[in-house]
Amino acid sequence: MPLLTYLEAIRQGLWEEMERDPSVFVIGEDIGVYGGAFKVTAGMLEEFGEDRVIDTPISESAIVGAAIGAALMGMRPVVEMQFMDFIACGFDQIVNMAAKLHYRWGPAVPMVIRGPSGAGVHGGPYHSQSNEMWFVHTPGLKVVAPASAYDAKGLIKSAIRDNNPVIFYEHKFLYRRIKEDVPDQDYVVPIGKAVVRRPGTDISVITYGAMVWTALEAASELEKEGLTLEVVDLRSLLPYDEETVLASTRKCSKVILLHEDTRTGGMGGELAAVIAEKAFEALDGPIVRVTAPDTPVPFAPPLEEYFLPNTQKVMEAARRLAAY
Amino acid sequence: MAGTGSSTKVVRTTKIDAALLGKMIYYLKLTREAESRIENVLYRQGKIVGGVYVGRGQEAIGVGAALTMRAGDVTFPCHRDFSVFLIRGFTLADMMANWLARGDSPTRGRENTLHIGNVDLGIFPIISPLGATLPVACGAAMVLKRRGKGNVALVHFGEGTTSLGHVHEAMNFAAVQKLPVIFICNNNQFAYSTPVEKQYAVESLAVRGPAYGMPGESVDGTDVLAVFGAVERGNARARAGKGPTFLECVTLRMTGHSAHDAAEYVPEKMKQTWAKKDPIQRLEKLILDKKILSRKQIEELEGKVREEVDAAIADAEARPLPPGKEAIEGVYCDTECWWSKKRL
Amino acid sequence: MSTNVIMPQMGESIAEGTITKWMKKVGERVDRDEPLFEISTDKVDAEIPSPAAGLLTQILVKENETVAVNTVVAVIDGEGSAVAVPAATEPKPETAHQGPIHAAPQAAAHIPPPAAPTASEQIETGEDDVRTSPLVRRIARENNVDLGQVKGTGLGGRVNKKDILDFIEQRGPGTPVAPSAPAPAIAPTPSPVSFTGASQAVPMTPMRKQIAEHMVASLRTSAHVYTVVEAEMTRVVAARDRFKEEFERRHGIKLTFTSFFVRACVEAIKESPIINSSVDGTNIIYRRDVNIGIAVALENGLIVPVIKRADEKNFLGVARAVQDLADRARTKRLSVDDVQGGTFTITNPGSFGGLFGLPIINQPQVAIMGVGAIEKRPVVRDDAIAIRHMVYLSVSYDHRVIDGATAEKFMGRVKKILENWDEAVL
Repeated sequence: MPLLTYLEAIRQGLWEEMERDPSVFVIGEDIGVYGGAFKVTAGMLEEFGEDRVIDTPISESAIVGAAIGAALMGMRPVVEMQFMDFIACGFDQIVNMAAKLHYRWGPAVPMVIRGPSGAGVHGGPYHSQSNEMWFVHTPGLKVVAPASAYDAKGLIKSAIRDNNPVIFYEHKFLYRRIKEDVPDQDYVVPIGKAVVRRPGTDISVITYGAMVWTALEAASELEKEGLTLEVVDLRSLLPYDEETVLASTRKCSKVILLHEDTRTGGMGGELAAVIAEKAFEALDGPIVRVTAPDTPVPFAPPLEEYFLPNTQKVMEAARRLAAY
Repeated sequence: MAGTGSSTKVVRTTKIDAALLGKMIYYLKLTREAESRIENVLYRQGKIVGGVYVGRGQEAIGVGAALTMRAGDVTFPCHRDFSVFLIRGFTLADMMANWLARGDSPTRGRENTLHIGNVDLGIFPIISPLGATLPVACGAAMVLKRRGKGNVALVHFGEGTTSLGHVHEAMNFAAVQKLPVIFICNNNQFAYSTPVEKQYAVESLAVRGPAYGMPGESVDGTDVLAVFGAVERGNARARAGKGPTFLECVTLRMTGHSAHDAAEYVPEKMKQTWAKKDPIQRLEKLILDKKILSRKQIEELEGKVREEVDAAIADAEARPLPPGKEAIEGVYCDTECWWSKKRL
Repeated sequence: MSTNVIMPQMGESIAEGTITKWMKKVGERVDRDEPLFEISTDKVDAEIPSPAAGLLTQILVKENETVAVNTVVAVIDGEGSAVAVPAATEPKPETAHQGPIHAAPQAAAHIPPPAAPTASEQIETGEDDVRTSPLVRRIARENNVDLGQVKGTGLGGRVNKKDILDFIEQRGPGTPVAPSAPAPAIAPTPSPVSFTGASQAVPMTPMRKQIAEHMVASLRTSAHVYTVVEAEMTRVVAARDRFKEEFERRHGIKLTFTSFFVRACVEAIKESPIINSSVDGTNIIYRRDVNIGIAVALENGLIVPVIKRADEKNFLGVARAVQDLADRARTKRLSVDDVQGGTFTITNPGSFGGLFGLPIINQPQVAIMGVGAIEKRPVVRDDAIAIRHMVYLSVSYDHRVIDGATAEKFMGRVKKILENWDEAVL
């Protein structure tokens, strides 16, 4: 199997879907001639032509809206947000239009909005956000956030084939840092299914995106101290895999909810609620969140470092919880 | 007050097609009758809940525009464009059922008023932030362009929403991409209570077209033939691959924003002036003048329209409300799609 | 990291304590082990050292207030590392136990500080005073565990999952309550060995480890010598047969052979006090009270509840104590008091058919008696072969302090009491 970066895996998935299904096209800012700000769509214009690799004005509402219109007409558009921070400019289209169409009058809305999110690259407040929860709180959307190259390819394919609007959160920190064996044939990773990245018995760390790697690192370190963490990679945030979350909770009885997103109203809060509702009697300690604080993402390296959850913070939380 | 035809050329159609005029008068009258029942009867009887928004005085826009459409064209009507839904294939009974929140209706009780759509009919409804349909219409137009069959996308909206960012983005996008889309603005001079002076600072919205690189035209929105002709011109350009057109249709909203609004903010004199321009009376006069239909024939038509509306309401009222538990169904379009199941 | 300061259990049966003096004020710094407050209980007055170093941020119980043991009386905000090792900062409730009793198989380390609760106290205090989690409460419910019996090693003495699972593992699964929910997430696992090869390594349970350590330590400590006598049980069996129904009817308790052996030993010990002693360096510690431990086999180990002051009890009193301890051992409701303070132990290999056994001394005691199976055997009486109920009684004694003659004298006395049983039973 070829060794692909996370970014290359996304490109390969997109590319294969473009080849497989002529109704798939990509649309966004600087994605054609330039190949995208991060080069996810590099080479596609030459391969698939202007009709299917569409450079647009800086108009997130128009881009998303146009994708919705195309989806209603039977196409499978894939929108690139140059940065997920800018998705706010297309917010009305996503939450009021795309998300509700099927519920309101029944049409399929097969479209994907994908783009880089997350911090750790000194991007400052507008090139670093993890704003997935805006959409997790919107019924009708699906939200996925792969952590591995394998999942990135499998999930982009699932997202494209899905008949609902899917917001696909890529993590820019992982783009070129993660390299994995990725099958070059067709496969999908189902939306809504989490995966246990590392089994453990003492504490379940439920996370997603780049924080999966942080959790795995913490788990390796803590194993030396005799503490075994189970790392659950949600992969999908809406719908999320409640079954796996609860199973891991019941197995470990202690839970850390880890995310790069800010604290209040984050995925951790939602998971904590469902765990408290459905696995209360499996709990042997408080449900603990390790998250970014409730601030914008700061720029200066020490500020950003302070802001972001990291291995050390996870380990400290795990030790405290283990002692509880 | 909105200016009419100030900035760009106004071409009045001179072509009189008896069959077309017959359709026009029929749909105008059917729309007026149906909306009047909705506003003055069903709503007041408590049978229609929620807001009631009608297009009295503005019916010519929907009728004029929709009658230009061909197979494969798509339309994005607004909430005051009742006639578009009828002309493009919804039944009156289904529309009434939707107003009455029935389970067996185009939205199965999920949506109110005219937020009804049908992909097969090429009808895509608004969402309440109105301008949001313009980018979506651009997307549909992109697909039509790629299909290469000369189809167009018509999108209706009001002057109020032209102040929204969506509209700017969509018009720019359509012009850049040379999309076959006709932007049809119903300038009924009040966005809820806000008059045009507080909405925009140009003399006529028609200037917006050239500003984006497309023709802009302003017509009398109470003149169905004028609307028809203007949309046809836009269509011709679009079908020829020359891109979008912006069309302002000037009217006055002859009701409140909704049935609960007495519109006291609209000057009485203005109402009187525009009452004289009633689109149905105007067309009726033309039809009588040209002897296309007799007075008696028109009365017969009115009787037929009333019967149709009676029947549609009876049909709709006979349908049950949706069971409450259906509220959780049909959020996602997955396998076992709830919408694809036949209703009981 | 804050540390809760709790009212310690200063003694076996102490349920509450009164704070007589705070030696620090809120806001003052306190060192670990520095005297923090003074308490007065039914048994002792004591100065309590601080469990942690830091700032005394809260005093929750004022002077002259009386609170239940384990009540949080103060909070200390720690300094330095945010990661506390709370188990180490807990006051050790065992400190007040009398004597250096390393109760061997008593599982003492896993039996908690709270006072041996009487039935009525149990109702008042209940589980709600136990700091624990929803999970642990559920496991306790499903496995009939009194959480008051489980020693908490979590933060501030919380009973956590590991604590209760260890407790259940040692105790055996007990009588689980039928779970109302589908399969409990954590099964109390008496791990059945499934062989994948010729042999299979299974880790010892904590109780097993403890027994192993104590047994080996005992052999290392005491100079074990063994002797066996045979006693005729005719009179005992006759007395038991004759009175057992009436006894049960009148007192509501069973008339067991154990009570006879306990009584015999107590009487014999009165004449050989060295049997009731222990060794402390070069001192021999004689014990005033005769506290007889009765070894009870459990599924994965054993436990030795103790009849306290057996020397003060008549036959009925002993029988009541035997029954009470047996019942509570069965329902896993033994308290720390129940398994501590033994001065002599009786074990019963005969209950499993053994003719006699040679038991290992339960430290720090110096003798242990093994009772073999009571059975009819042919014996010579008046030069004729007769059939009699017989029993072999063995004793293991510590030759450091007990010589053969003493042991034989003791066993002779036990034998004589049994063979000539004349004590009123009813």
